[in-house]
Amino acid sequence: MLSRNHKHEFMPRRIALISTACVLWISGAWSQSAPLTVTPAAALARNPVAVQEPGVPRTASGNGLDIKLPLQQNSVRFAVIGDSGTGDREQYEVAREMEAYREAVKFDFVIMLGDNIYGSHSPRDFEKKFEEPYRPLLDAGVKFYASLGNHDDPNGESLYKPFNMGGKRYYAFRKGEVAFFALDSNYMDPRQLEWLDQNLKSSQGTWKICFFHHPLFNDGRHHGPDIDLRSQLLPLFERYGVSAVFSGHEHVYQRIKPENNIYYFVLGNSGKLMTHDFHESGERVKGFDTDRTFMIVEIAGDKLYFQVISRGGQTIDSGELTRNAASAQSH
Amino acid sequence: MTQRRGREETEMLDHLFLKRLSIAMLMLTAGLAAAQEANDAAVVKDFEGRVQKYLDLHKTADITKKPTDSPDKLVDQKQQAEEKIQQSRPGAKQGDIFTSQIGAYFKKQITATLSGPQGDKVRASLRRAEPLPDLRLQVNQPYPANLPLQSTPPTLLLNLPRLPGELQYRIVGSTLLLFDTAANLIVDLLPNAVSKP
Repeated sequence: MLSRNHKHEFMPRRIALISTACVLWISGAWSQSAPLTVTPAAALARNPVAVQEPGVPRTASGNGLDIKLPLQQNSVRFAVIGDSGTGDREQYEVAREMEAYREAVKFDFVIMLGDNIYGSHSPRDFEKKFEEPYRPLLDAGVKFYASLGNHDDPNGESLYKPFNMGGKRYYAFRKGEVAFFALDSNYMDPRQLEWLDQNLKSSQGTWKICFFHHPLFNDGRHHGPDIDLRSQLLPLFERYGVSAVFSGHEHVYQRIKPENNIYYFVLGNSGKLMTHDFHESGERVKGFDTDRTFMIVEIAGDKLYFQVISRGGQTIDSGELTRNAASAQSH
Repeated sequence: MTQRRGREETEMLDHLFLKRLSIAMLMLTAGLAAAQEANDAAVVKDFEGRVQKYLDLHKTADITKKPTDSPDKLVDQKQQAEEKIQQSRPGAKQGDIFTSQIGAYFKKQITATLSGPQGDKVRASLRRAEPLPDLRLQVNQPYPANLPLQSTPPTLLLNLPRLPGELQYRIVGSTLLLFDTAANLIVDLLPNAVSKP
C-alpha cells in the first residue's frame, strides 16, 4: 500500500485514476449497504467537469484543472485544510494550488482542522504561517473557519478575527442548508459536550458536519485514533444525524469506512507530512501519505461531492456521498 | 430434651447476634461512605472557593479579551494579561490551590478513572499525546510558547470538578496542571497525579 502510494504520486493521471478505482473496488467500500454511498472517483471521471478553457488557471504541475465537482447552482462549496501552519514552502505550494481551484470552483470558505499556527505565535508567525500563504484567498473574500489543534494557542487564535471563531473555543455556523460545528478536541469538557448536544439537537441544518483536530478513527501509526474522545462524541453524532466528520492531527490523508452512516475524513497534511505512516486496520478506504493535500467539497441537495488534491495538482481521491434521510430525521 | 432446647436457644441467639452485627457493619460502612462523601464535598467546595478567588484577579486586573484582526494587538493583549496576573499574585506557590487535601482528592479521582471501566481508553488517549521534552513547569509562569499543549481525556474531565471557562486541567507526563488559558499561566501544579498502570 505504501509503495503503491509512493508510485502513485508519479503516475500519469489515467493510470492513477485506474489504480484509485482498483484500490477502492478491492476494499469493497462500494458494495457496503451503508445509507451514505460513495460514487467512486473513476465513475465521476467518466464525466469530469474538466475546465480547460483559455484563461483558466493551471496547476503547479502544469496540468489543466481536473475538477470533479458538478458545480451546481446554489450549492455550498468549501475547502478543507489541516495541520497547515508551518510557514514552509510546501504550505505555500498547497495554498497556490488552492487559489487555482478557487478561481474555477468558486468556493467561498475554508474549514481548518487545527494546528493552524505551529511553534511560536508572534505577530510574524501569524503573517508567515497564515496571512501570506493564503493572501490571494483572503483578498478574494474567502473566509476561514478554524478549529484548534494541540499546537494552537487557544486564547490567541480564538480572538484572531480572520479565523472567525468569535472568541470561542468551539462554535457553530450555517451555510445554506449545511450546519457546521467546530469543536475543540483538545479539551472536550462536560460543558462543551452539553453545548454540542443542545446545538446538534436544535439544528435545522439538512446536513450536519463536525470538524475538529483529533480523529476518532485513524490508521496512522504516529497518533492513531482517540478512542476516549470517540466514546464521548460518537453517541451524539449518531443520535443527531451527523453525516460527515473532518479531522486532522495525523499528517496524512485518509477516508475511513463509514461508521453507522457517518463518513470520517482525516486530512492533516496541508503543511506537515508524515510519510509511510499507515498500518492496516481495515478501517481505511483510501489513504495518501506521500505529499501534502487539501480538499474541495460541494454540497447540493442530498449529495456531498469531494475531491482531494495534492500539492502537485493531482487528484488523490474523489467521490460523492448521499445523505441518509433516516439519519437526518433521527433527531 | 432440655439439652436440645438449650442448643436451639444458643443457635438462635448466635443467629440474632450475627444478624445484629451485620446490620451494625452495614450501618458503619454506610456511615463511613456518607462521611467520605461529605468530606469530598467539603474538599471540592474548598477547591471551588480557591478557584473563584483566583478568577477574581481576572476582574481586578481588567483583562481585555477583544477579537482583533491585528496579530500585534493579539500578542499585546496576551502579554498584558500574563503580566497583570503574575503581578497580582507575586507570592504564588505550588499547593496554593492543590492543597494536600485537595491534591489527595484529585489523585483519588484520577486513579478511580484510570482503574474504572473506561480506564484503558483514557490511558490510551494519554499515551498518544505528543511527546514533550523534560519541562520545568512553575506556578505563575507561562506554559512554554513553542510546545504543544496535551489534550485532556474527556472521560477524566467528567470525573473532576468543573472549571470556569478561563481555566483548564492539563496533563503533562504525570503532572496535573491548572492552566489559565487567557493569561497562558500555570495556576498550580499537582505532581504524580497520574499513576502508572
